[in-house]
Amino acid sequence: MREAFSNALVRLALADSRVLLLTGDHGYSLFDEFRSSCPEQYINAGIAEQNMVGMAAGLARVGFRPFVYGLAAFIPIRTVEQIKLDIAHDELPVVLLGDGAGFVYSHLGTSHQSTEDIACTRAIPHLQVLSPADRFEMTAAMDYAYATNGPIYLRMGKADLGDVHAGPINSLQPGRLLKVRDGRSDRPGLIATGSMVRVAVDIAKSLDLMVWSTPMLKPLDVANVRAAAQATNGLFTLEEHSVLGGLGAAVTEITSEHQPTRVLRIGVPDRFSEHCGTHAYLLREHGLDIDTVRERVWAYCQLLASNPIA
Amino acid sequence: MTSTISENSITPFSPARMRRTVLEMAYAGSTVHIACAFSIIELLTVLYRHYLRYPGNDPRAEGRDYLVLSKGHGVMAQYACMHELGWLEDSHVQSYFKDGSDLKGLSDSRVPGLEVTSGSLGHGFSVGVGIALGLKRKGTDQKVYAIVGDGELNEGPIWEGALVTAHHSLNNLMLIVDKNGFQAMGSTDDVLALGDLQAKFSSFGFETLEVDGHDETAIDAAIRQLWATGPNKPKALIAKTVKGKGVSFMESINLWHYTRLNPQSFAEALGELGFTGESI
Repeated sequence: MREAFSNALVRLALADSRVLLLTGDHGYSLFDEFRSSCPEQYINAGIAEQNMVGMAAGLARVGFRPFVYGLAAFIPIRTVEQIKLDIAHDELPVVLLGDGAGFVYSHLGTSHQSTEDIACTRAIPHLQVLSPADRFEMTAAMDYAYATNGPIYLRMGKADLGDVHAGPINSLQPGRLLKVRDGRSDRPGLIATGSMVRVAVDIAKSLDLMVWSTPMLKPLDVANVRAAAQATNGLFTLEEHSVLGGLGAAVTEITSEHQPTRVLRIGVPDRFSEHCGTHAYLLREHGLDIDTVRERVWAYCQLLASNPIA
Repeated sequence: MTSTISENSITPFSPARMRRTVLEMAYAGSTVHIACAFSIIELLTVLYRHYLRYPGNDPRAEGRDYLVLSKGHGVMAQYACMHELGWLEDSHVQSYFKDGSDLKGLSDSRVPGLEVTSGSLGHGFSVGVGIALGLKRKGTDQKVYAIVGDGELNEGPIWEGALVTAHHSLNNLMLIVDKNGFQAMGSTDDVLALGDLQAKFSSFGFETLEVDGHDETAIDAAIRQLWATGPNKPKALIAKTVKGKGVSFMESINLWHYTRLNPQSFAEALGELGFTGESI
């Protein structure tokens, strides 16, 4: 997935000299290929993220196409106001790349973990939010970000979980869910994003549930979400992000108004990580490991089967 | 009644006229931040009169120079310049702050002639750094002037931007500090002392001068000298100014950061500027 990211970035930069990569002194080996292929388009802006985002706005104002890279804890979180005011307010074509979102930096603690970035960015007008799940979605997301020519936040989470799609995706359509798996219509369906699509697929196999991936969290297509709710008996949302303001919120904002549906939002509870450990450990700490999620999903399936309206 | 510059023979960007425009806007809109605008009037006079190039008098001309008002609180002074240029009509002045109007109390880049959305301090300078870096990469001779308040220098991104400016040898950028000695709650010395700004920016790698920010001849000479020296260095002009300059009862009285005009103070202020008897 990271290779797909690097390849797309290099390809876009080679094709368009206006593309610039700005990094806040992060991404050492990730940008080896970029630095050797397009050294003139690489700018290490130093450990100065706020200025970097403002600077990207200035570069965009005079015709460049900046891609601004940082850890999601910093791009966007540290720079939310610069993104709002300097970039989104004036609809400038800047792509913000937040890497390591969720609990990727599981051993480093809260400073490097990011479970509030979707909530923060989704509320900023004009800013579209992408969250690819595998290398195919990543390639399509990068192409979409470049073609959009407006402000984009692209969230990159745990990237080594394998593919969820069988092959390349032609192109992302604004707000569309991608169906990953068919399943029973009398049970709830799973809508997942980023790293959690893999988990959703693994759970869905044993319970025979439908699964959709959402490589785009904003906009989110009303008709698509409505159709998913109509095709199933209830929904789950699954994300490596706070249960507040992320995918779960985006889906329920639509269902509550357009297709009243029971939705169980599965994500990071409203708390910071307490302990240190592997990524798998931290998922367990927050109840997002596959066993815990499967138990919650199965219990909710049973609840809806016995008491669909309550 | 104001009139645009094309309709009379007064020298464009005359400080007294521009202060009158600011007063008329502030009175019409019952707004604050008059003193923040008054401290940068002569700086803008010199920049708009002698330095800023707008091909075809087009505020969005691709080949223009950029005036980045990072201290968005002084925006009425920039509106006054845009009025002199004919980019704003008298009606913009008279309808300031009316419901549904375009001109806000802080700089909004959606208004042609304003380059950044500022007022949240410490933003505009970084955008200006990016503009300068972009223009330099394109190999144009366009210049960027970024005006920051001395209070605004409290903000961290200013110093991040200063490092980047010097690192990339952005010799097409001039940082202008409106050193009026005040910020919202008091004097800069009392709130957060700035020390020797000329020494600070020099140490960051800027070619630096200090100037009387109300002496047009001195400002002109300083800007000319800065562009002519330190060929690979960014420029910093520390302009010593008086907050509220031009109206005696506003000068260095920080209350005029927040105070609104009433009919009496409006008439008195106009009178001090030599416009006795005129009314809007």
